[in-house]
Amino acid sequence: MTSISIRDVNKTYTRGNTRAVADLNLEIPASEFLCLLGPSGCGKSTTLRMIAGLENLTSGQISIGDKIVDANAEGIFVPPEKRHLGMVFQNYALWPHMTIEENIEFGLRIKKTPAHERKTIIDTVLKKLGIEKYRKRYPSEVSGGQQQRVALARMIAVSPEVILLDEPLSNLDAKLRLDMRTELKRIHAELGSTFVFVTHDQWEAMTLATKIAVMNEGRLQQIGTPEDIYDRPANRFVAEFVGTLPINIIEMNSLDNTTFRSWLDAGIEMLCLGDQQVHSLGIRPETIDILPGTAGADNGNALCSAQIIDLVPTGGNWIVELDIAGARLFALKAQVRDLKPDQLVQLSVSKQDLHAFDAAGDRLVPTPSK
Amino acid sequence: MANLEAPPPTRRGPVLRLRKIWYQSRTWAANPTVALGVILSVLAVYLILAPVLLMLWDAITVDFADQARTGKSIGELTFYYLDRALLSPISKHIFWKPLVNTALVSVSVIITTLLLGGTLGWLVSRTNLLFRNWFSTALIVPYMVPSWTFALAWMVIFKNRKIGGPSGWLESLGITPPDWLAYGFVPITVILAFHYVPFVILLVGNALKQFDSQLEESARTLGASPLLVARKIIFPLLRPSIISASTLVFAKCLGDVGVTYIIGAPVKLDLLATSLLRTISTGQAGMSAVLAGAIVVLGATSVLIDMKLLKAAQRFVTIGSKGSLHRTTELGKWQVPAFGFAATFFAVSAIVPLGALFLTTIMHMPGVFTWDNFTLDYWIGQDLVTTAMPQGLLLTNEFWIAAWNTIWMVGTASIGAGLLGLIVGYIVACSPFRLMGAFLKQVTFLPYLVPGVAFAAAYLSMFAVPRGPLPSLYGTGYILVIALLASQMPFASRAGIAAMMQMGKDPEEAAQIAGAGWWKRATAIVLPIHRGALVSGILLPFISGIKGLSLVILLAVPGTDLLTTYAVRLVDFGYTQAANAVAIMLCLIAFVGTWLGQKVGKSNLGSGIGG
Ligand SMILES: Nc1ncnc2c1ncn2[C@@H]1O[C@H](COP(=O)(O)OP(=O)(O)OP(=O)(O)O)[C@@H](O)[C@H]1O
Ligand SMILES: [Mg+2]
Repeated sequence: MTSISIRDVNKTYTRGNTRAVADLNLEIPASEFLCLLGPSGCGKSTTLRMIAGLENLTSGQISIGDKIVDANAEGIFVPPEKRHLGMVFQNYALWPHMTIEENIEFGLRIKKTPAHERKTIIDTVLKKLGIEKYRKRYPSEVSGGQQQRVALARMIAVSPEVILLDEPLSNLDAKLRLDMRTELKRIHAELGSTFVFVTHDQWEAMTLATKIAVMNEGRLQQIGTPEDIYDRPANRFVAEFVGTLPINIIEMNSLDNTTFRSWLDAGIEMLCLGDQQVHSLGIRPETIDILPGTAGADNGNALCSAQIIDLVPTGGNWIVELDIAGARLFALKAQVRDLKPDQLVQLSVSKQDLHAFDAAGDRLVPTPSK
Repeated sequence: MANLEAPPPTRRGPVLRLRKIWYQSRTWAANPTVALGVILSVLAVYLILAPVLLMLWDAITVDFADQARTGKSIGELTFYYLDRALLSPISKHIFWKPLVNTALVSVSVIITTLLLGGTLGWLVSRTNLLFRNWFSTALIVPYMVPSWTFALAWMVIFKNRKIGGPSGWLESLGITPPDWLAYGFVPITVILAFHYVPFVILLVGNALKQFDSQLEESARTLGASPLLVARKIIFPLLRPSIISASTLVFAKCLGDVGVTYIIGAPVKLDLLATSLLRTISTGQAGMSAVLAGAIVVLGATSVLIDMKLLKAAQRFVTIGSKGSLHRTTELGKWQVPAFGFAATFFAVSAIVPLGALFLTTIMHMPGVFTWDNFTLDYWIGQDLVTTAMPQGLLLTNEFWIAAWNTIWMVGTASIGAGLLGLIVGYIVACSPFRLMGAFLKQVTFLPYLVPGVAFAAAYLSMFAVPRGPLPSLYGTGYILVIALLASQMPFASRAGIAAMMQMGKDPEEAAQIAGAGWWKRATAIVLPIHRGALVSGILLPFISGIKGLSLVILLAVPGTDLLTTYAVRLVDFGYTQAANAVAIMLCLIAFVGTWLGQKVGKSNLGSGIGG
């Protein structure tokens, strides 16, 4: 199986002098399903295209397996057609002049697979993706979702050891996306190939990936399992980018609301940060516990009185808008049967759900106790 | 946006730098646009830029023949030609009068084509005109018929006693048409206008087709009168297409020699292009360079104005959005007059001229409609009294040679132009070097500004003498083929660029990932995908090359005659009927060629005509 290693890679587009990727280091072990996640224009596609060899490096080195395929300073460049990868393009890039069958067959012909084997493989992948019916049609004669399956079929037919996907689900409707996600997971389990999947949809990343690499402005922000990214964001960018509802960020320096402040300070105390200065604090809406009534204790967590301002349904979940002596906070609850507007409540947050950041926006971690 | 500063390049010794250069060249080698771009740029310089510059250079350097007159030796810089063409006593006849004539003719042609073409374009694109679909094809026919055949047909009908040869039909009916109707300004304007109306129909018609009728309806609901709607809403939105059509027609009028050559000569009416033709054919290289330069400057200016106006107009270009409606106007009681108008135009611009030409070829005496006057002698007769043409056209060897020359030369040139045009498009769309793409785009467009005669003159300066390893090409078919090819590059490269920009790089990259090397990608992916563009990139040059006269009239010699030049030679000898028969055969080849091309390429030309 094949790993990918990206070392000190920089990419500057001469046109517009844009630094699309800066000092990127990524080790992708074999059989990983890595999601490159980040906002539009952060350099995800560029990274993927550099792995594929469709874009050259400004500096740095890329290896696939134990072979260096791209090393600026060594003068090594293996062209894309010799890298033996599979790739699905954002707009599928099906060949419009070939039928679906021919689209799938093309790669096999190039690999010089014998004719009878080609036929078996085509039959298998067509069946696997549920598009046998359309084999004689041209890409323009099938729907977007089917085109996407064809793109996947075309790629898996050659069973590449490294599979690159550039936002392959972005053109599909919600239902199809769900189906394709399952499909992709299955393909990953079956082929055991190394996947690099580009997306700006965090939900997609969370549900698919074994590892997520979050990028912003050409730089890697954090790499880790979906739980890592969600539960322990490495910095404010990651904290704010990941999460269905935007995380509540409280700027501690400018907070003069004493009720709120004393509650948060009690929370920070529990984080054992020593004398590190907390610049801002993040609390995910879904981690805020709301206790009806005005008194009581919640297994050791400090409580804070608040008033419910509004309850907004979002289809299944409710956004609870809270007021803490003038400050706003948002919570997310699955059900709000015993809550109503203007009600006075108590709030509680566990310490692992408090994310403290320093002035540079980096996550503060407990200092080892002396 | 990752708009960080680029890191300063790290330099650690020459070895590292060498390796980086090696790396660059490896990545370029993987990308065929780089090598192709270099080759094509060299070709473009050699076949387009160099000849044109070389010819223009003649305008300010002393020619061999004028050493005594200028008192300078050959090749020295001089203002002699500029002075002679623009300021001397003969400048009036050589330059200023033709300039004024050109201006008058172009302006009247543009106005006529806009009025006729605008109306017809609207009728076929936005109304329920009877036989609308049929008309939308039929009205394009005049463009496929060479403009000088109209001139021949005009002569058939209106020619008077002023010049020799068989008399015109009106004359033989006893009506002598006045000179102003038979020759010169009026017929030239009418003929050119009829010939170029299809441009306007296509351009304005296409623009009207995209036009959202909700725009006019919303104005109507606000209480605007139809006239106000036309003036304030429709016209401004059509402006870009009207401007493009006008520029196109202007450039064509600047370059046309055939019509004026045939129909202006009897009254000594010269346009810049015919004046240029005269100076070239009398071997005055310096003077012709000045005239050609003037035409290029005029053409370039019009294109620049066009681009400026288009930029200004682009701000309110309406793009057909989701909810746009394309409702057709009910003609109601105007149905019959409208149909009459379209049918008359078709009759006058296509049926009458072609019919008249054809009739002359099967009649002894023009205009005498009696049974015994009909004959097939001009087609298949033998032992005729005419000295140089003892046999009918179809039995004459020269005709078949010329026909074969036309087919292979224009065919080769068009296929070459179509392929090169696609490659230019590929480089423009995919090359990592923007400058190379921009350069190719501009240079391949240059022949559009240089009228055929001037381009031919440029080719004479460049290739009529041995240069480097190349022998003199004058008198061979090669000079015609490459001149045709180069002069057709504007169409071909525009078709290629449009297609490639639309498709983008993805399909090719997908093939590359699948493991296909560049040859496989070119033949299995890129070419087949762009078959439609390739077909128009070949067919448009084919049609326009087959009927074009101005380019080849200087370059062809009797051994390398094309049908066009052969017809003109016949006109010069006074064999009008034979010339007309050649014109008919030429139209036939153009039609059959277009039809075959569309069948083979499974694509339609309708929307692509542009020159
Ligand atoms: N060919 C190019 N020339 C110049 N700049 C480019 C080119 N391609 C990308 N860029 C720039 O590089 C940066 C990164 O682009 P990239 O396509 O990698 O973003 P992305 O993360 O894939 O975004 P998206 O989610 O919108 O696809 C952007 O600022 C973009 O404008
Ligand atoms: Mg992208």
